[in-house]
Amino acid sequence: MARIEVKSEITGTVWQLKAKPGDKVEGGDTLIVIESMKMEIPVITEDGGTVAEILVKEKDPVSEGQVVAIIEE
Amino acid sequence: MAHEALLQEYEARRAKALAGGGADKYAKRSAQGMWSARQRIDYLMDPGSFIESGLFGSSGVYPEQEDETQTDGKLAGFGRIDGRDVCAVINDFTVKGASTSATNSKKVGHMKRVATERGMPLVLIGESTGARLPDAMGSRGMGLLLGNDNTQFRRLREVPTAAAAFGPSFGSSTWLMCQSDFAIMHKSAIMAVSSPRLVSMALGEKVSAEELGGWRLHAETTGLIDQFADTEEEVFDQIKKFLSYMPNHHREAPADAPVPAGSGADMHKVFDILPESRTQVYDMKRVIKCMVDKDSLFEMKPRFGKSAVTALARLGGKSVGIIANNPLHRGGALDADACRKIVDFIVMCDSFNIPFVMLVDTPGFQIGTEAERAGAPGKIMNFMNAMTLVTVPHISVIVRKSYGRAYVCMGGGRHSDEVAAWPSAEVSFMSPDFATKIVHGVGHGEPGFEEALADIRKGADVWGLAAVYAAQSVIRPQDTRDYLIRMLDVYKLRMTKGVGQHLMRSWPTSY
Repeated sequence: MARIEVKSEITGTVWQLKAKPGDKVEGGDTLIVIESMKMEIPVITEDGGTVAEILVKEKDPVSEGQVVAIIEE
Repeated sequence: MAHEALLQEYEARRAKALAGGGADKYAKRSAQGMWSARQRIDYLMDPGSFIESGLFGSSGVYPEQEDETQTDGKLAGFGRIDGRDVCAVINDFTVKGASTSATNSKKVGHMKRVATERGMPLVLIGESTGARLPDAMGSRGMGLLLGNDNTQFRRLREVPTAAAAFGPSFGSSTWLMCQSDFAIMHKSAIMAVSSPRLVSMALGEKVSAEELGGWRLHAETTGLIDQFADTEEEVFDQIKKFLSYMPNHHREAPADAPVPAGSGADMHKVFDILPESRTQVYDMKRVIKCMVDKDSLFEMKPRFGKSAVTALARLGGKSVGIIANNPLHRGGALDADACRKIVDFIVMCDSFNIPFVMLVDTPGFQIGTEAERAGAPGKIMNFMNAMTLVTVPHISVIVRKSYGRAYVCMGGGRHSDEVAAWPSAEVSFMSPDFATKIVHGVGHGEPGFEEALADIRKGADVWGLAAVYAAQSVIRPQDTRDYLIRMLDVYKLRMTKGVGQHLMRSWPTSY
């Protein structure tokens, strides 16, 4: 089973978690919303599968390229 | 020899050549779901249209290998795709891993030359172990096989070139993907400078083939490919679709296509896609889909530099490029990858006489340490430079935000033929929230902030841009498709039959 890292595209602060471990997701689904540049910017999975891990919690600072979730295909 | 004997020998040699690497190898591939080189030709080309060039080729270095080097591992020839003539090279992995040697290099060079001189698209289907050994070994091998044709890797974008990679695609298959206008990877493909085995021997680095050069790496990180596909059919269908937007060569405009029924039918809903809050994002691809001819959207590099969308499409039956910011990713902020993707696309459109449309909604170029490490200023200036060299018609539509230098790069001022703006457009040097702090010295929550912010916002609305004729039109969002079709017609290159000046045709492949 392939483990796929989902990264934040942008530096900011975790605003909302939209998915939790065990959730089934499809490519294009939003997992987390980051607040950055006064905007609500989604972290979107390109690949469908099951959410294995969410590696951040609300209000955590995240940096560009940081792995924030793991999807298992 | 009597005629009959000559013909018998011909048939025997032909059958042997057509048998390639032998039935066992083809059966093994077939069991893995992989097509043979000839199956790929059959699917790609119009039935019966393929005429092979070099069927009786074999090793030019070791004559004693004649029986094991049928076609020398690369099939070349002429065929038709949807009635249009093309030149093609399709590697046959069952013959010496389709490795590159003397005879097959001549075949590839010949196809490229004929395509370029006679104005036909070139299709290159790769699957290769790289240079053939021991043919290229030693100073004699190198001197004989490498570098003797200085046009081999000269890229002047004279004919549209589409390439695919399957399985191991080292050496020439990787190089040719990088030099093509459209590069698609089957998910089995590995594109890399060298194999994991050599990497392990030379560097002690243990890495899987997938990590070293798999489709995900190239689709998401290197941006060296335009598309990827799960199946053989999908690879060839996408190549055919790509070519459908292209002219045969750089001295003609692309052909028109019929406008499918229902095109533009959702335009009345297009403004509803934009959230009313400016802090929220949306998927610009939904806007584009409403606007272009039905089912004509063909995206390039969908997983790379995602804050920009680059896509071929049709408007009123005419080939058109779409370059758009996508607020869904990074809020639409343009990072170094997005800049590179856009420049690649501008160069392709300009080289092949394809007008383009820019849809603008960006807070500006990406700022921050990661952006600077990626050399953002250099990429931004490449983008800027490209926009000063465009000679095909290009229209810019400001959908929402257009800030700072990105305003200019996305066609602001005289960097597009015509600028139109939606009533939702906001244009300024920087986003109002930050400008309020810098101009008025007040931040969020401080006395006077809301009034100062309202004042700054008012100054960024569309009417200032229209007043000074920096937006030539303010349009209703639902009229955008009709406006673009009309405006691209106004700006068509009448004096050269749609052919631009191609000032960027030798632009590097990646940088």
